[in-house]
Amino acid sequence: MNENSYLMALSHLPRWRTEKINKLLVQILKELNLTFAEFFDSDDKDLANTFKLNTKEISDIQDVKNELPNYAYLADELLNQRYEIIPIYSTEYPKSLKDNLRINFSPPVIYVKGNKELLHEEKVAVVGSRDVSDKGFEFTKKITQKLVKQGNVIVSGFAKGVDRLSLDVSIDNNGKSIIVLPQGILTFASGFKKYYQNIIKGEVLVLSAFHPKAPWSVGLAMSRNRYIYGLANDIYVAESNSRGGTWEGVMDGLRKIKKFKMEEYRKIYVRHAAKDEKCANNLLIKHGAIGINDELEVVKKPGPKEKQQTFFDE
Amino acid sequence: MDRNIAEKKLNDIFGLHAFYDEQWQVIEKILQGKRCLLIHRTGFGKSLCYQFPATQFEGMTVIFSPLIALMRDQVSYLRSINIPSACINCEQTHEENEDILKQAAENKIKILYIAPERQENITWIEAVRQFKLSMIVIDEAHCISVWGHDFRPAFKRIIDLVKLMPKHLPILAVTATATERVALDIRTQLGSDKIFYLRGSLLRDNFYIKVIKVDSEEDKFGFILNQIQHLPGTGFIYTGTRVDTERYSSFLKRNGINAIAYNAGLAGDLRKEIEEGLKKNVYKCVVSTNALGMGIDKKDIRFIIHTQFPQTPIHYYQEIGRAGRDGEDTFIYTLYRAEDKSLPEHFINTARPNAKKYEKVISILKQSPEPLGERALIKKCNLKQNSFRVIKADLIEQGIINEVTYGKSKKYEYQFNAPALNLTRFEDLRKHRFKELEKMIEFLECDSCRMKYLRDYLDDKADSKCNKCDNCLGGSTIWRNSPELDILIKEFLEGEYPSLHNANKEYCLINGVAASYYGSSNVGALIHKCKYENKGYFPDSLLEKVLSAYRACFQNIKFDLAIFVPPTESKDLVRNFAERVAKALDIPISYNLQKKRDTKPQKVFQNSWNKKDNVDGAFEFKNPEELEGRNILLIDDIYDSGATIKEIAKTLVRYKINLLASLVIAKTVGSVGDSDNVLSPDNLLKHTAETTDKKQGNDNKELNYIEKQREKHPNAYKPWSDVDDKRLVELHKAGMSVAQLSEFFNRNKGAIRSRLKKLS
Repeated sequence: MNENSYLMALSHLPRWRTEKINKLLVQILKELNLTFAEFFDSDDKDLANTFKLNTKEISDIQDVKNELPNYAYLADELLNQRYEIIPIYSTEYPKSLKDNLRINFSPPVIYVKGNKELLHEEKVAVVGSRDVSDKGFEFTKKITQKLVKQGNVIVSGFAKGVDRLSLDVSIDNNGKSIIVLPQGILTFASGFKKYYQNIIKGEVLVLSAFHPKAPWSVGLAMSRNRYIYGLANDIYVAESNSRGGTWEGVMDGLRKIKKFKMEEYRKIYVRHAAKDEKCANNLLIKHGAIGINDELEVVKKPGPKEKQQTFFDE
Repeated sequence: MDRNIAEKKLNDIFGLHAFYDEQWQVIEKILQGKRCLLIHRTGFGKSLCYQFPATQFEGMTVIFSPLIALMRDQVSYLRSINIPSACINCEQTHEENEDILKQAAENKIKILYIAPERQENITWIEAVRQFKLSMIVIDEAHCISVWGHDFRPAFKRIIDLVKLMPKHLPILAVTATATERVALDIRTQLGSDKIFYLRGSLLRDNFYIKVIKVDSEEDKFGFILNQIQHLPGTGFIYTGTRVDTERYSSFLKRNGINAIAYNAGLAGDLRKEIEEGLKKNVYKCVVSTNALGMGIDKKDIRFIIHTQFPQTPIHYYQEIGRAGRDGEDTFIYTLYRAEDKSLPEHFINTARPNAKKYEKVISILKQSPEPLGERALIKKCNLKQNSFRVIKADLIEQGIINEVTYGKSKKYEYQFNAPALNLTRFEDLRKHRFKELEKMIEFLECDSCRMKYLRDYLDDKADSKCNKCDNCLGGSTIWRNSPELDILIKEFLEGEYPSLHNANKEYCLINGVAASYYGSSNVGALIHKCKYENKGYFPDSLLEKVLSAYRACFQNIKFDLAIFVPPTESKDLVRNFAERVAKALDIPISYNLQKKRDTKPQKVFQNSWNKKDNVDGAFEFKNPEELEGRNILLIDDIYDSGATIKEIAKTLVRYKINLLASLVIAKTVGSVGDSDNVLSPDNLLKHTAETTDKKQGNDNKELNYIEKQREKHPNAYKPWSDVDDKRLVELHKAGMSVAQLSEFFNRNKGAIRSRLKKLS
């Protein structure tokens, strides 16, 4: 029996933190070895005692139980159009997401269309600000071409600037790409038309971790950035200001590398900026990112450890 | 809820005193939130098994039913006992359907009927997520199974949906016709482990089943004419094709029996009208392809006559099952001659287009720069719409292509990593169908109890004979027409000239006429010889036929000018023929209709869009002065989609013609099926008509001449009432012109003229 409606209903519980949802999934499926149907048969007492849910949470569960038929319709709509629903506990779920985002931030479900094998290949992301300088632009092109040639999958957030540029370069070079949407997967009609040929050839996978009907929003765009950092093994930063999405993402990434001791297999490269550039690239290098020059050679080792620590202690 | 309480409620709501035990068994399970499959005979009371629980649930019950007539009847019944209910189907306007969906989202509807095809409708998809759903019912559940006799792809979506539904939601599947194999398939698909399954007895003990052996088509007409006068009440005559519905009904009408033709080609409101008339016993019989009947809530259908036997014993059981639901004596006749099996054989063999066409769709989608809509894809592949729909359903089912909704439009995509086309599957199904056909013939030729045969076939183990069928009462009957009757029927059949339902007010075009159908008798063969085998001009025998058709149809119109369709590849055949027609009719001929550019033969194109493109703007008229105010007769050899004639009319109407009518040698029968399959002339006719019905042809624009007619003249094809007749004569005497009368009565001018003639 198909569990998708239950999974979707739980995954999109309104105002529940990702971590909480993931823990509930673990509890139901792993610790108690229940089916979702059995979970939804639990009464309020069970929910309180066994699952340690508070009154508000119990009422959320009861509400979503009534919505199960509606989620069934939604799941049916998705599956009939051959979107795929991949739960966090599936072997098809990308390992890098779980490794990088852990239980706190790994989306409980992802929706994809296209060649899902790409999820398990070597993935990299070239990121940077929306208004990129000429130097950043050239760097993006060069680095993407090189990465594509090496057989990497380019992970793109489909945002203006560096994001889109690296996707375009990848596609122009018959490379493989994953588009990570800042919106629900059912709201990407124009993209599916545009990338139709690339999708049916297996060059492109479209991925969304949000409710399939969710429209674009700033909040989703921010979460999407996190998923890009989560999916990609290595990150190449073309350009960053001292604040905003790129900056936050890179800093967060650096912090996690350190926290989970991933220095060996996860690297964040930043384009070393010239002195007259206004960007904050070199500041990131100071914070521990690996600097590379326009020729794509490593120019500087990570900065002194103490400095990083003071920053992250907050 | 215990049975006593339930029956009290039953009395309050439905005014019924008690459930049958089998009904209660199912209802009890439904109320407990279980999934059930109920197989029971028509007339048992399956609908109460969901209608009652539906009234007890807080939210709404959705019933998937392919039978529009049934929906309509049940909704009006439920409303009459104050149960808020509604249906959504293609016969209602978009606004009506939207309004119902809105009410449903507000939980103002208890029971909602919907045609399975509507699931793909975008408005529906948007609306359902707001429903408060309490139960799902699948009517005619045998359509779920490819091993059933009537598999429909839309039902597969119901299963997809059901699989996703939470397990506490009750689901009921019902059908009157399923073998154990099909039942097992349904149960598996619904999640077999916990499904409650109840199979009732399929015995219909009020049926007198008879098989009548005949030697010819004429015998069939003769038997019916003779027998129907002795049959009580009203009934159905089932024919194999649409054309035959018209033939039998007009034959019976001519002989004083109130018959009416009914088929999927008729417009929705006309069908509704006939259904109403049927319920009120206006007609002695309704002559129909098997599209009808399904689900009409009339309990006292007294007889059913098959002029062509169905493909399988299950079809047969289901079709006869519509009669005699009141339990009174009911008479079932099947007219049978061994040759009749060629039609079902043909259907089975051509149920699917050939593999090349499948490959074509795949390769076009693979190469297209973006997803394609149905129309674009049909045009690019040069396919008939019906062929495309069969291919599409198969390719989706095999996971090779994919139907998606982008914004408000539906598109088709090739699926990344698709498997190769699996043809073995089609072959297995074909073999299975042939086996079933053999069984049907075995039934017709058997000498044991016929009811027992049917029940055994449906795995309803029958232990006794019915003592009512011909075999129980002494064997099957043989019927031969008397020589006088035979002559009467032959004359009737030869005097039928196919009308070209191509009238178009805007273009001053009136319905044309053909001398014959291409494919019936030897007309098609004669045309083919001259046209494609260089055997000279069309012979005089064809000229004679065309002149008879002309006289039968146009004798009230004075034509001023004859013109002909300029040739594409048959050189001057048509010109020569038109000269001879014009000479015989003493109408001046003009050679001024010419082509501005080359066109391809229309038969190359498989659908009306491509045909229209082929002739668009292709004609001109050299000397337009000779057209103004004139009645023009347009002559051609073969009439197919009507696109050429329409294009010519469009060209000529600019020069203020008064009227244009077309006269052709032969009319092809629509454009369904697969041109790569060689059709014998005899079943070309039958084949096309029935296939269309089977594929829910009511949305096939190419064939809906009558529907188009009805749009222009809402009263077209309606029988004339006495009041209308009286009025017509009065108004005519008062000096009203035919055009004015046409407008007044909402019928075309030809119809007015012929009625006036009849009444004078």
